[in-house]
Amino acid sequence: MFGIKISLFAGAKTLETKIDSFHDNVIDAAMTFNKSIATYLQEGRSEDFKKTNKQLRQIEHDADQLRRDIENRLYVQNLIPDLRADVLELVENLDKVINRFDEVSYQFYIERPEIPEIYHTRIMTLVTQVTECAENLSIASRSFFRNFSLVRDYSQKVYFLEHESDLSSGHLKESIFDSDMPLANKLQLSTLFDEIENIADLAEDCVDELLIFTIKRDI
Amino acid sequence: MDLLFFFFLSSGLFLGWSLGANDAANIFGTAVGSKMLKFKTAAATSCLFIVIGAVFAGGGTSATLNSLGSVNAIAGAFMVALSAALTVYWMVSSGLLVSTSQAIVGGIIGWNLYSGYDTDIHTLYTIVSSWVLCPLLSGFIAIIVYVLIKNILHFSHLHLLRQDSYLRIGLWLLAAFGGYALGANNIANVMGVFVESSPFKNIYLNGYYISNTQILFFLGAIAICVGIFTYSYKAIKTVGNNLMSMTPTIAWIIVFSQSLVLFAFSSQGLQASLKDLGLPSIPLVPVSSSQAVIGAIIGIGIAKGGRNISWNTITKIIIGWIATPLISAAICFISLFFLENVFQQKVYM
Repeated sequence: MFGIKISLFAGAKTLETKIDSFHDNVIDAAMTFNKSIATYLQEGRSEDFKKTNKQLRQIEHDADQLRRDIENRLYVQNLIPDLRADVLELVENLDKVINRFDEVSYQFYIERPEIPEIYHTRIMTLVTQVTECAENLSIASRSFFRNFSLVRDYSQKVYFLEHESDLSSGHLKESIFDSDMPLANKLQLSTLFDEIENIADLAEDCVDELLIFTIKRDI
Repeated sequence: MDLLFFFFLSSGLFLGWSLGANDAANIFGTAVGSKMLKFKTAAATSCLFIVIGAVFAGGGTSATLNSLGSVNAIAGAFMVALSAALTVYWMVSSGLLVSTSQAIVGGIIGWNLYSGYDTDIHTLYTIVSSWVLCPLLSGFIAIIVYVLIKNILHFSHLHLLRQDSYLRIGLWLLAAFGGYALGANNIANVMGVFVESSPFKNIYLNGYYISNTQILFFLGAIAICVGIFTYSYKAIKTVGNNLMSMTPTIAWIIVFSQSLVLFAFSSQGLQASLKDLGLPSIPLVPVSSSQAVIGAIIGIGIAKGGRNISWNTITKIIIGWIATPLISAAICFISLFFLENVFQQKVYM
Protein backbone atom coordinates (compact mmCIF):
# COMPACT_ATOMS: atom_id res chain seq x y z
CA MET A 1 0.00 0.00 0.00
CA PHE A 2 2.75 2.41 1.03
CA GLY A 3 4.70 1.51 -2.11
CA ILE A 4 1.67 2.12 -4.31
CA LYS A 5 1.06 5.49 -2.64
CA ILE A 6 4.66 6.66 -3.03
CA SER A 7 4.86 5.66 -6.71
CA LEU A 8 1.46 7.24 -7.46
CA PHE A 9 2.42 10.54 -5.89
CA ALA A 10 5.95 10.56 -7.34
CA GLY A 11 4.61 10.09 -10.89
CA ALA A 12 1.99 12.78 -10.38
CA LYS A 13 4.47 15.20 -8.83
CA THR A 14 6.92 14.90 -11.75
CA LEU A 15 4.15 15.49 -14.25
CA GLU A 16 2.80 18.43 -12.23
CA THR A 17 6.23 20.06 -12.50
CA LYS A 18 6.36 19.43 -16.23
CA ILE A 19 2.90 20.89 -16.82
CA ASP A 20 3.89 23.94 -14.77
CA SER A 21 7.07 24.34 -16.83
CA PHE A 22 5.04 24.07 -20.01
CA HIS A 23 2.81 26.93 -18.88
CA ASP A 24 5.93 28.92 -17.99
CA ASN A 25 7.05 28.38 -21.57
CA VAL A 26 3.86 29.95 -22.94
CA ILE A 27 4.49 33.09 -20.86
CA ASP A 28 8.20 33.11 -21.77
CA ALA A 29 7.32 32.80 -25.46
CA ALA A 30 4.82 35.67 -25.23
CA MET A 31 7.26 37.99 -23.45
CA THR A 32 10.16 37.08 -25.72
CA PHE A 33 7.96 37.70 -28.76
CA ASN A 34 7.08 41.13 -27.37
CA LYS A 35 10.75 41.86 -26.84
CA SER A 36 11.63 40.52 -30.28
CA ILE A 37 9.17 42.80 -32.15
CA ALA A 38 10.16 45.82 -30.00
CA THR A 39 13.82 45.16 -30.85
CA TYR A 40 13.04 44.82 -34.55
CA LEU A 41 11.10 48.09 -34.59
CA GLN A 42 13.98 49.90 -32.86
CA GLU A 43 17.00 48.23 -34.43
CA GLY A 44 15.80 46.26 -37.46
CA ARG A 45 17.45 42.88 -37.99
CA SER A 46 20.16 43.54 -35.42
CA GLU A 47 22.22 41.08 -33.40
CA ASP A 48 19.88 41.60 -30.45
CA PHE A 49 16.89 40.77 -32.65
CA LYS A 50 18.65 37.63 -33.89
CA LYS A 51 19.37 36.71 -30.27
CA THR A 52 15.73 37.06 -29.16
CA ASN A 53 14.67 35.09 -32.23
CA LYS A 54 17.05 32.34 -31.20
CA GLN A 55 15.67 32.45 -27.64
CA LEU A 56 12.16 32.09 -29.01
CA ARG A 57 13.23 29.10 -31.10
CA GLN A 58 14.76 27.51 -28.02
CA ILE A 59 11.55 28.08 -26.00
CA GLU A 60 9.54 26.52 -28.82
CA HIS A 61 11.91 23.54 -28.93
CA ASP A 62 11.75 23.06 -25.13
CA ALA A 63 7.97 23.32 -25.22
CA ASP A 64 7.80 20.63 -27.91
CA GLN A 65 9.92 18.31 -25.78
CA LEU A 66 7.81 19.00 -22.70
CA ARG A 67 4.61 18.41 -24.66
CA ARG A 68 5.84 15.02 -25.88
CA ASP A 69 6.97 14.10 -22.39
CA ILE A 70 3.63 15.13 -20.83
CA GLU A 71 1.67 13.17 -23.45
CA ASN A 72 3.89 10.15 -23.00
CA ARG A 73 3.68 10.16 -19.20
CA LEU A 74 -0.08 10.64 -19.21
CA TYR A 75 -0.46 7.48 -21.27
CA VAL A 76 2.35 5.37 -19.84
CA GLN A 77 1.38 6.08 -16.23
CA ASN A 78 -2.32 5.92 -17.14
CA LEU A 79 -3.07 9.16 -15.30
CA ILE A 80 -6.41 11.03 -15.20
CA PRO A 81 -8.02 8.59 -17.66
CA ASP A 82 -11.33 10.46 -17.77
CA LEU A 83 -9.74 13.85 -18.55
CA ARG A 84 -6.61 12.71 -20.34
CA ALA A 85 -7.91 13.47 -23.82
CA ASP A 86 -8.87 16.99 -22.72
CA VAL A 87 -5.50 17.65 -21.14
CA LEU A 88 -3.72 16.40 -24.26
CA GLU A 89 -5.86 18.68 -26.43
CA LEU A 90 -5.14 21.61 -24.14
CA VAL A 91 -1.40 21.04 -24.22
CA GLU A 92 -1.46 20.70 -28.01
CA ASN A 93 -3.39 23.97 -28.31
CA LEU A 94 -0.98 25.84 -26.04
CA ASP A 95 1.90 24.45 -28.05
CA LYS A 96 0.34 25.84 -31.23
CA VAL A 97 0.32 29.32 -29.64
CA ILE A 98 4.02 29.01 -28.77
CA ASN A 99 4.75 27.84 -32.32
CA ARG A 100 2.92 30.83 -33.76
CA PHE A 101 5.00 33.28 -31.69
CA ASP A 102 8.14 31.68 -33.07
CA GLU A 103 6.85 31.60 -36.66
CA VAL A 104 5.69 35.25 -36.70
CA SER A 105 8.95 36.49 -35.18
CA TYR A 106 10.86 34.44 -37.77
CA GLN A 107 8.68 35.94 -40.50
CA PHE A 108 9.92 39.39 -39.44
CA TYR A 109 13.48 38.02 -39.61
CA ILE A 110 13.00 36.60 -43.12
CA GLU A 111 10.85 39.32 -44.70
CA ARG A 112 12.57 42.33 -43.03
CA PRO A 113 9.49 44.55 -43.49
CA GLU A 114 10.01 48.30 -43.68
CA ILE A 115 7.80 49.88 -41.06
CA PRO A 116 7.51 53.71 -40.84
CA GLU A 117 8.11 55.00 -37.31
CA ILE A 118 4.64 56.54 -37.01
CA TYR A 119 3.18 53.02 -36.77
CA HIS A 120 5.60 51.69 -34.14
CA THR A 121 3.57 52.60 -31.04
CA ARG A 122 0.38 51.17 -32.47
CA ILE A 123 2.12 48.00 -33.58
CA MET A 124 3.52 47.60 -30.06
CA THR A 125 -0.01 48.10 -28.68
CA LEU A 126 -1.23 45.26 -30.93
CA VAL A 127 1.72 43.06 -29.94
CA THR A 128 1.17 43.76 -26.23
CA GLN A 129 -2.53 42.91 -26.53
CA VAL A 130 -1.67 39.64 -28.25
CA THR A 131 1.04 38.68 -25.76
CA GLU A 132 -1.19 39.55 -22.79
CA CYS A 133 -3.88 37.46 -24.41
CA ALA A 134 -1.51 34.46 -24.50
CA GLU A 135 -0.34 35.13 -20.93
CA ASN A 136 -3.94 35.12 -19.68
CA LEU A 137 -4.57 31.94 -21.63
CA SER A 138 -1.64 30.36 -19.85
CA ILE A 139 -2.94 31.47 -16.44
CA ALA A 140 -6.44 30.22 -17.31
CA SER A 141 -5.00 26.89 -18.37
CA ARG A 142 -2.87 26.63 -15.21
CA SER A 143 -6.00 27.37 -13.16
CA PHE A 144 -7.72 24.46 -14.90
CA PHE A 145 -5.29 22.16 -13.09
CA ARG A 146 -5.31 23.79 -9.66
CA ASN A 147 -8.24 26.16 -9.15
CA PHE A 148 -10.71 25.80 -11.95
CA SER A 149 -13.08 28.42 -10.57
CA LEU A 150 -10.59 31.01 -11.88
CA VAL A 151 -10.64 29.71 -15.47
CA ARG A 152 -13.70 31.78 -16.30
CA ASP A 153 -12.14 35.02 -14.99
CA TYR A 154 -8.99 34.68 -17.06
CA SER A 155 -10.93 33.45 -20.08
CA GLN A 156 -12.92 36.66 -19.96
CA LYS A 157 -9.66 38.63 -20.14
CA VAL A 158 -8.61 36.59 -23.17
CA TYR A 159 -11.90 37.37 -24.92
CA PHE A 160 -11.54 41.07 -24.14
CA LEU A 161 -7.94 41.26 -25.34
CA GLU A 162 -8.70 39.30 -28.49
CA HIS A 163 -11.44 41.76 -29.33
CA GLU A 164 -9.11 44.68 -28.65
CA SER A 165 -6.43 43.15 -30.87
CA ASP A 166 -9.00 42.79 -33.68
CA LEU A 167 -9.75 46.49 -33.42
CA SER A 168 -6.07 47.49 -33.23
CA SER A 169 -5.17 45.34 -36.22
CA GLY A 170 -8.12 46.73 -38.23
CA HIS A 171 -7.19 50.36 -37.46
CA LEU A 172 -3.55 49.71 -38.33
CA LYS A 173 -4.48 48.19 -41.68
CA GLU A 174 -6.78 51.11 -42.43
CA SER A 175 -4.04 53.67 -41.78
CA ILE A 176 -1.51 51.72 -43.80
CA PHE A 177 -3.79 51.45 -46.82
CA ASP A 178 -4.58 55.20 -46.44
CA SER A 179 -0.85 55.99 -46.60
CA ASP A 180 1.41 56.58 -49.65
CA MET A 181 3.40 53.40 -49.18
CA PRO A 182 3.84 51.14 -52.22
CA LEU A 183 1.09 48.54 -52.47
CA ALA A 184 3.57 45.69 -52.02
CA ASN A 185 4.62 47.12 -48.63
CA LYS A 186 1.00 47.69 -47.65
CA LEU A 187 0.13 44.05 -48.44
CA GLN A 188 3.20 42.75 -46.67
CA LEU A 189 2.41 44.72 -43.48
CA SER A 190 -1.25 43.85 -43.66
CA THR A 191 -0.35 40.13 -43.79
CA LEU A 192 2.04 40.53 -40.85
CA PHE A 193 -0.62 42.29 -38.76
CA ASP A 194 -3.01 39.49 -39.59
CA GLU A 195 -0.38 36.97 -38.50
CA ILE A 196 0.10 38.78 -35.17
CA GLU A 197 -3.61 39.15 -34.58
CA ASN A 198 -4.20 35.48 -35.46
CA ILE A 199 -2.24 34.50 -32.35
CA ALA A 200 -4.95 36.15 -30.24
CA ASP A 201 -7.59 34.31 -32.31
CA LEU A 202 -5.78 31.05 -31.61
CA ALA A 203 -5.74 31.90 -27.88
CA GLU A 204 -9.46 32.57 -28.04
CA ASP A 205 -10.09 29.17 -29.66
CA CYS A 206 -8.03 27.53 -26.91
CA VAL A 207 -10.08 29.28 -24.23
CA ASP A 208 -13.35 28.18 -25.88
CA GLU A 209 -12.25 24.57 -25.55
CA LEU A 210 -10.78 25.15 -22.11
CA LEU A 211 -14.15 26.33 -20.83
CA ILE A 212 -15.78 23.15 -22.11
CA PHE A 213 -13.06 21.05 -20.44
CA THR A 214 -13.70 22.97 -17.22
CA ILE A 215 -17.41 22.14 -17.27
CA LYS A 216 -16.48 18.48 -17.74
CA ARG A 217 -13.94 18.68 -14.90
CA ASP A 218 -16.44 20.07 -12.40
CA ILE A 219 -18.12 17.35 -10.36
CA MET B 1 -21.91 -35.14 5.58
CA ASP B 2 -24.67 -35.86 3.12
CA LEU B 3 -23.64 -35.09 -0.45
CA LEU B 4 -27.26 -34.23 -1.12
CA PHE B 5 -26.72 -31.18 1.09
CA PHE B 6 -24.32 -29.72 -1.47
CA PHE B 7 -26.84 -30.38 -4.22
CA PHE B 8 -29.47 -28.45 -2.25
CA LEU B 9 -26.96 -25.75 -1.38
CA SER B 10 -26.36 -25.20 -5.11
CA SER B 11 -29.32 -22.80 -5.46
CA GLY B 12 -27.81 -20.58 -2.76
CA LEU B 13 -24.38 -20.82 -4.35
CA PHE B 14 -25.93 -19.85 -7.67
CA LEU B 15 -27.51 -16.81 -6.02
CA GLY B 16 -24.05 -15.99 -4.63
CA TRP B 17 -22.48 -16.33 -8.06
CA SER B 18 -25.15 -14.07 -9.54
CA LEU B 19 -24.57 -11.50 -6.79
CA GLY B 20 -20.82 -11.52 -7.49
CA ALA B 21 -21.33 -11.33 -11.23
CA ASN B 22 -23.76 -8.41 -11.18
CA ASP B 23 -23.72 -6.45 -7.91
CA ALA B 24 -19.95 -6.45 -7.49
CA ALA B 25 -19.74 -4.47 -10.76
CA ASN B 26 -21.40 -1.64 -8.84
CA ILE B 27 -18.52 -1.51 -6.37
CA PHE B 28 -15.57 -1.27 -8.71
CA GLY B 29 -17.11 -1.16 -12.20
CA THR B 30 -16.33 2.49 -12.86
CA ALA B 31 -12.83 2.23 -11.40
CA VAL B 32 -12.04 -0.69 -13.71
CA GLY B 33 -14.02 0.63 -16.67
CA SER B 34 -12.21 3.96 -16.54
CA LYS B 35 -8.87 2.17 -16.02
CA MET B 36 -8.29 3.88 -12.67
CA LEU B 37 -7.80 0.42 -11.13
CA LYS B 38 -6.76 -2.89 -12.63
CA PHE B 39 -9.52 -5.50 -12.59
CA LYS B 40 -7.40 -8.05 -10.71
CA THR B 41 -6.45 -5.53 -8.00
CA ALA B 42 -10.04 -4.34 -7.53
CA ALA B 43 -11.54 -7.84 -7.69
CA ALA B 44 -8.98 -9.41 -5.32
CA THR B 45 -9.43 -6.59 -2.79
CA SER B 46 -13.22 -6.79 -2.96
CA CYS B 47 -13.21 -10.58 -2.69
CA LEU B 48 -11.00 -10.55 0.39
CA PHE B 49 -13.30 -8.08 2.13
CA ILE B 50 -16.48 -9.79 0.94
CA VAL B 51 -15.26 -12.93 2.68
CA ILE B 52 -14.33 -10.96 5.83
CA GLY B 53 -17.65 -9.09 5.82
CA ALA B 54 -19.69 -12.23 5.20
CA VAL B 55 -17.93 -14.43 7.75
CA PHE B 56 -17.50 -11.89 10.55
CA ALA B 57 -20.42 -9.50 10.11
CA GLY B 58 -23.07 -11.39 8.16
CA GLY B 59 -24.85 -12.77 11.24
CA GLY B 60 -27.10 -9.77 11.92
CA THR B 61 -29.00 -9.64 8.65
CA SER B 62 -29.22 -13.41 8.55
CA ALA B 63 -30.83 -13.47 12.01
CA THR B 64 -33.47 -10.99 10.78
CA LEU B 65 -34.31 -13.23 7.80
CA ASN B 66 -34.53 -16.22 10.13
CA SER B 67 -36.89 -14.39 12.43
CA LEU B 68 -39.12 -13.79 9.41
CA GLY B 69 -39.23 -17.49 8.71
CA SER B 70 -36.93 -20.19 9.96
CA VAL B 71 -36.58 -22.51 6.98
CA ASN B 72 -35.77 -25.73 8.84
CA ALA B 73 -35.45 -28.33 6.04
CA ILE B 74 -32.67 -28.29 3.50
CA ALA B 75 -34.99 -29.08 0.57
CA GLY B 76 -37.20 -26.18 1.61
CA ALA B 77 -34.20 -23.86 1.82
CA PHE B 78 -33.12 -25.04 -1.62
CA MET B 79 -36.50 -24.13 -3.05
CA VAL B 80 -36.61 -20.73 -1.32
CA ALA B 81 -33.21 -19.82 -2.82
CA LEU B 82 -34.16 -21.29 -6.21
CA SER B 83 -37.44 -19.33 -6.30
CA ALA B 84 -35.52 -16.16 -5.52
CA ALA B 85 -32.98 -16.93 -8.26
CA LEU B 86 -35.71 -17.67 -10.83
CA THR B 87 -37.59 -14.48 -9.89
CA VAL B 88 -34.45 -12.39 -10.20
CA TYR B 89 -33.63 -14.00 -13.56
CA TRP B 90 -37.16 -13.49 -14.92
CA MET B 91 -37.43 -9.89 -13.72
CA VAL B 92 -33.98 -8.95 -15.01
CA SER B 93 -34.89 -10.42 -18.40
CA SER B 94 -38.08 -8.33 -18.34
CA GLY B 95 -36.08 -5.17 -17.71
CA LEU B 96 -37.52 -4.61 -14.25
CA LEU B 97 -35.50 -3.40 -11.29
CA VAL B 98 -35.06 -6.36 -9.04
CA SER B 99 -33.36 -7.11 -5.78
CA THR B 100 -32.21 -10.47 -4.47
CA SER B 101 -33.15 -9.28 -0.98
CA GLN B 102 -36.78 -8.82 -1.97
CA ALA B 103 -36.86 -12.10 -3.85
CA ILE B 104 -35.50 -14.09 -0.91
CA VAL B 105 -38.00 -12.48 1.48
CA GLY B 106 -40.78 -13.46 -0.93
CA GLY B 107 -39.41 -17.00 -1.02
CA ILE B 108 -39.38 -17.23 2.77
CA ILE B 109 -42.98 -15.98 2.97
CA GLY B 110 -43.93 -18.58 0.33
CA TRP B 111 -42.31 -21.26 2.49
CA ASN B 112 -44.12 -19.94 5.60
CA LEU B 113 -47.43 -20.09 3.78
CA TYR B 114 -46.79 -23.62 2.49
CA SER B 115 -45.49 -25.01 5.77
CA GLY B 116 -48.15 -23.30 7.86
CA TYR B 117 -45.67 -21.35 9.98
CA ASP B 118 -46.62 -17.82 10.96
CA THR B 119 -44.89 -14.91 9.28
CA ASP B 120 -43.64 -12.46 11.89
CA ILE B 121 -45.48 -9.31 10.86
CA HIS B 122 -43.23 -7.06 12.95
CA THR B 123 -40.11 -8.41 11.19
CA LEU B 124 -41.82 -8.14 7.82
CA TYR B 125 -42.70 -4.54 8.58
CA THR B 126 -39.09 -3.82 9.60
CA ILE B 127 -37.77 -5.41 6.39
CA VAL B 128 -40.19 -3.63 4.07
CA SER B 129 -39.61 -0.25 5.71
CA SER B 130 -35.85 -0.84 5.30
CA TRP B 131 -36.32 -1.29 1.56
CA VAL B 132 -37.97 2.13 1.41
CA LEU B 133 -35.43 3.66 3.76
CA CYS B 134 -32.43 2.24 1.87
CA PRO B 135 -32.57 4.39 -1.31
CA LEU B 136 -33.71 7.43 0.70
CA LEU B 137 -30.81 7.12 3.12
CA SER B 138 -28.39 6.48 0.27
CA GLY B 139 -29.64 9.59 -1.55
CA PHE B 140 -29.31 11.68 1.61
CA ILE B 141 -25.76 10.47 2.25
CA ALA B 142 -24.86 11.09 -1.41
CA ILE B 143 -26.05 14.71 -1.17
CA ILE B 144 -23.96 15.35 1.95
CA VAL B 145 -20.83 13.64 0.56
CA TYR B 146 -21.23 15.38 -2.81
CA VAL B 147 -21.44 18.85 -1.22
CA LEU B 148 -18.53 18.00 1.09
CA ILE B 149 -16.25 16.76 -1.70
CA LYS B 150 -17.19 19.61 -4.01
CA ASN B 151 -16.18 22.09 -1.33
CA ILE B 152 -12.99 20.24 -0.48
CA LEU B 153 -11.98 20.23 -4.15
CA HIS B 154 -12.94 23.89 -4.49
CA PHE B 155 -11.02 25.17 -1.49
CA SER B 156 -8.05 22.80 -1.38
CA HIS B 157 -6.73 23.84 -4.84
CA LEU B 158 -5.34 20.35 -5.25
CA HIS B 159 -3.63 19.80 -8.56
CA LEU B 160 -5.69 17.69 -10.97
CA LEU B 161 -3.00 15.01 -10.96
CA ARG B 162 -2.85 14.95 -7.16
CA GLN B 163 -6.62 14.56 -7.10
CA ASP B 164 -6.23 11.66 -9.50
CA SER B 165 -3.78 9.95 -7.13
CA TYR B 166 -6.06 10.43 -4.13
CA LEU B 167 -9.01 9.19 -6.15
CA ARG B 168 -7.18 5.99 -7.08
CA ILE B 169 -6.40 5.31 -3.44
CA GLY B 170 -10.02 6.18 -2.60
CA LEU B 171 -11.34 3.78 -5.22
CA TRP B 172 -9.07 1.05 -3.94
CA LEU B 173 -10.19 1.60 -0.35
CA LEU B 174 -13.78 1.67 -1.55
CA ALA B 175 -13.33 -1.67 -3.30
CA ALA B 176 -12.42 -2.97 0.16
CA PHE B 177 -15.18 -1.16 2.11
CA GLY B 178 -17.79 -1.83 -0.58
CA GLY B 179 -16.80 -5.50 -0.60
CA TYR B 180 -17.03 -5.71 3.19
CA ALA B 181 -20.44 -4.03 3.24
CA LEU B 182 -21.77 -6.21 0.41
CA GLY B 183 -20.50 -9.36 2.10
CA ALA B 184 -21.91 -8.37 5.50
CA ASN B 185 -25.29 -7.27 4.21
CA ASN B 186 -26.04 -9.56 1.29
CA ILE B 187 -24.64 -12.89 2.49
CA ALA B 188 -27.99 -13.40 4.23
CA ASN B 189 -29.66 -13.44 0.81
CA VAL B 190 -27.29 -16.12 -0.39
CA MET B 191 -26.94 -18.37 2.64
CA GLY B 192 -29.41 -17.07 5.23
CA VAL B 193 -32.11 -19.65 4.49
CA PHE B 194 -29.66 -22.53 4.88
CA VAL B 195 -28.58 -21.59 8.42
CA GLU B 196 -31.23 -23.67 10.20
CA SER B 197 -30.56 -26.79 8.13
CA SER B 198 -26.77 -26.49 7.97
CA PRO B 199 -25.05 -29.80 8.69
CA PHE B 200 -21.72 -28.14 9.54
CA LYS B 201 -20.31 -28.37 13.03
CA ASN B 202 -18.74 -25.59 15.05
CA ILE B 203 -14.95 -25.71 14.97
CA TYR B 204 -12.46 -24.79 17.69
CA LEU B 205 -9.05 -24.22 16.17
CA ASN B 206 -6.07 -23.14 18.29
CA GLY B 207 -8.34 -21.16 20.56
CA TYR B 208 -10.34 -19.70 17.66
CA TYR B 209 -14.01 -20.46 17.36
CA ILE B 210 -15.62 -20.80 13.95
CA SER B 211 -19.37 -21.35 13.99
CA ASN B 212 -21.20 -23.58 11.55
CA THR B 213 -22.96 -20.47 10.23
CA GLN B 214 -19.61 -18.85 9.51
CA ILE B 215 -18.54 -21.91 7.51
CA LEU B 216 -21.76 -21.65 5.52
CA PHE B 217 -21.23 -17.94 4.95
CA PHE B 218 -17.65 -18.62 3.90
CA LEU B 219 -18.94 -20.95 1.17
CA GLY B 220 -21.44 -18.29 0.07
CA ALA B 221 -18.73 -15.65 0.00
CA ILE B 222 -16.55 -17.93 -2.14
CA ALA B 223 -19.50 -18.29 -4.56
CA ILE B 224 -19.73 -14.49 -4.73
CA CYS B 225 -15.97 -14.31 -5.42
CA VAL B 226 -16.29 -16.92 -8.17
CA GLY B 227 -19.04 -14.74 -9.68
CA ILE B 228 -16.73 -11.73 -9.55
CA PHE B 229 -13.81 -13.47 -11.20
CA THR B 230 -15.78 -15.42 -13.78
CA TYR B 231 -18.36 -12.92 -14.94
CA SER B 232 -18.16 -9.41 -13.45
CA TYR B 233 -15.38 -8.28 -15.82
CA LYS B 234 -17.59 -9.24 -18.73
CA ALA B 235 -20.50 -7.41 -17.08
CA ILE B 236 -18.34 -4.29 -16.72
CA LYS B 237 -17.01 -4.42 -20.26
CA THR B 238 -20.10 -5.42 -22.16
CA VAL B 239 -23.26 -4.71 -20.20
CA GLY B 240 -22.10 -1.68 -18.24
CA ASN B 241 -24.34 -0.09 -15.64
CA ASN B 242 -25.75 3.23 -14.50
CA LEU B 243 -22.38 4.29 -13.16
CA MET B 244 -20.40 3.75 -16.35
CA SER B 245 -21.16 7.11 -17.86
CA MET B 246 -20.15 9.00 -14.74
CA THR B 247 -16.84 10.51 -13.75
CA PRO B 248 -14.81 8.41 -11.31
CA THR B 249 -15.32 11.05 -8.56
CA ILE B 250 -19.11 10.95 -8.86
CA ALA B 251 -19.02 7.16 -9.09
CA TRP B 252 -16.91 7.12 -5.91
CA ILE B 253 -19.52 9.21 -4.07
CA ILE B 254 -22.33 6.93 -5.27
CA VAL B 255 -20.56 3.71 -4.37
CA PHE B 256 -19.46 5.15 -1.03
CA SER B 257 -23.06 6.12 -0.19
CA GLN B 258 -24.30 2.70 -1.26
CA SER B 259 -21.62 0.93 0.78
CA LEU B 260 -22.29 3.08 3.84
CA VAL B 261 -25.99 2.22 3.63
CA LEU B 262 -25.26 -1.50 3.26
CA PHE B 263 -22.85 -1.23 6.18
CA ALA B 264 -25.40 0.64 8.31
CA PHE B 265 -28.03 -2.04 7.65
CA SER B 266 -25.64 -4.82 8.69
CA SER B 267 -23.47 -3.42 11.47
CA GLN B 268 -24.33 -4.82 14.88
CA GLY B 269 -21.77 -2.42 16.40
CA LEU B 270 -23.48 0.62 14.87
CA GLN B 271 -26.87 -0.65 15.97
CA ALA B 272 -25.63 -1.04 19.56
CA SER B 273 -23.95 2.40 19.52
CA LEU B 274 -27.13 4.10 18.29
CA LYS B 275 -29.14 2.32 21.00
CA ASP B 276 -26.62 3.42 23.65
CA LEU B 277 -26.98 7.01 22.48
CA GLY B 278 -30.75 6.73 22.71
CA LEU B 279 -31.11 7.20 18.96
CA PRO B 280 -33.41 5.12 16.73
CA SER B 281 -31.36 2.13 15.63
CA ILE B 282 -31.05 0.91 12.08
CA PRO B 283 -32.44 -2.61 11.63
CA LEU B 284 -30.15 -5.37 10.38
CA VAL B 285 -31.79 -6.19 7.09
CA PRO B 286 -30.41 -7.31 3.73
CA VAL B 287 -31.13 -4.42 1.35
CA SER B 288 -30.72 -3.93 -2.37
CA SER B 289 -27.34 -2.52 -3.41
CA SER B 290 -28.74 -1.54 -6.84
CA GLN B 291 -31.57 0.45 -5.27
CA ALA B 292 -29.08 2.14 -2.93
CA VAL B 293 -27.10 3.10 -6.06
CA ILE B 294 -30.23 4.54 -7.70
CA GLY B 295 -31.02 6.48 -4.51
CA ALA B 296 -27.52 7.95 -4.53
CA ILE B 297 -27.73 8.88 -8.24
CA ILE B 298 -31.02 10.71 -7.61
CA GLY B 299 -29.46 12.37 -4.55
CA ILE B 300 -26.57 13.72 -6.59
CA GLY B 301 -29.00 14.88 -9.27
CA ILE B 302 -30.85 16.87 -6.60
CA ALA B 303 -27.57 18.26 -5.17
CA LYS B 304 -26.62 19.44 -8.65
CA GLY B 305 -29.89 21.34 -8.81
CA GLY B 306 -31.52 18.99 -11.31
CA ARG B 307 -35.27 18.95 -11.23
CA ASN B 308 -35.64 16.01 -13.57
CA ILE B 309 -36.15 13.15 -11.15
CA SER B 310 -36.76 9.99 -13.13
CA TRP B 311 -40.24 9.03 -11.98
CA ASN B 312 -40.04 6.10 -14.34
CA THR B 313 -37.13 4.64 -12.37
CA ILE B 314 -38.86 5.34 -9.05
CA THR B 315 -42.01 3.62 -10.30
CA LYS B 316 -39.91 0.63 -11.36
CA ILE B 317 -38.40 0.46 -7.86
CA ILE B 318 -41.84 0.56 -6.22
CA ILE B 319 -43.15 -2.12 -8.60
CA GLY B 320 -40.06 -4.15 -7.66
CA TRP B 321 -40.84 -3.81 -3.93
CA ILE B 322 -44.32 -5.27 -4.47
CA ALA B 323 -43.94 -7.58 -7.46
CA THR B 324 -40.64 -9.29 -6.57
CA PRO B 325 -41.71 -10.78 -3.22
CA LEU B 326 -45.15 -11.70 -4.58
CA ILE B 327 -43.74 -13.55 -7.61
CA SER B 328 -41.04 -15.22 -5.57
CA ALA B 329 -43.56 -16.31 -2.90
CA ALA B 330 -45.87 -17.74 -5.57
CA ILE B 331 -43.05 -19.64 -7.31
CA CYS B 332 -41.82 -20.96 -3.97
CA PHE B 333 -45.28 -22.08 -2.82
CA ILE B 334 -46.02 -23.96 -6.04
CA SER B 335 -42.52 -25.47 -6.30
CA LEU B 336 -42.60 -26.65 -2.69
CA PHE B 337 -45.79 -28.54 -3.48
CA PHE B 338 -44.06 -30.37 -6.36
CA LEU B 339 -40.88 -30.94 -4.40
CA GLU B 340 -42.81 -32.50 -1.55
CA ASN B 341 -45.38 -34.48 -3.49
CA VAL B 342 -43.59 -35.41 -6.70
CA PHE B 343 -39.97 -35.66 -5.54
CA GLN B 344 -40.90 -36.85 -2.05
CA GLN B 345 -38.63 -34.37 -0.26
CA LYS B 346 -39.22 -33.10 3.24
CA VAL B 347 -39.53 -29.35 2.77
CA TYR B 348 -40.31 -28.46 6.40
CA MET B 349 -40.04 -30.06 9.82
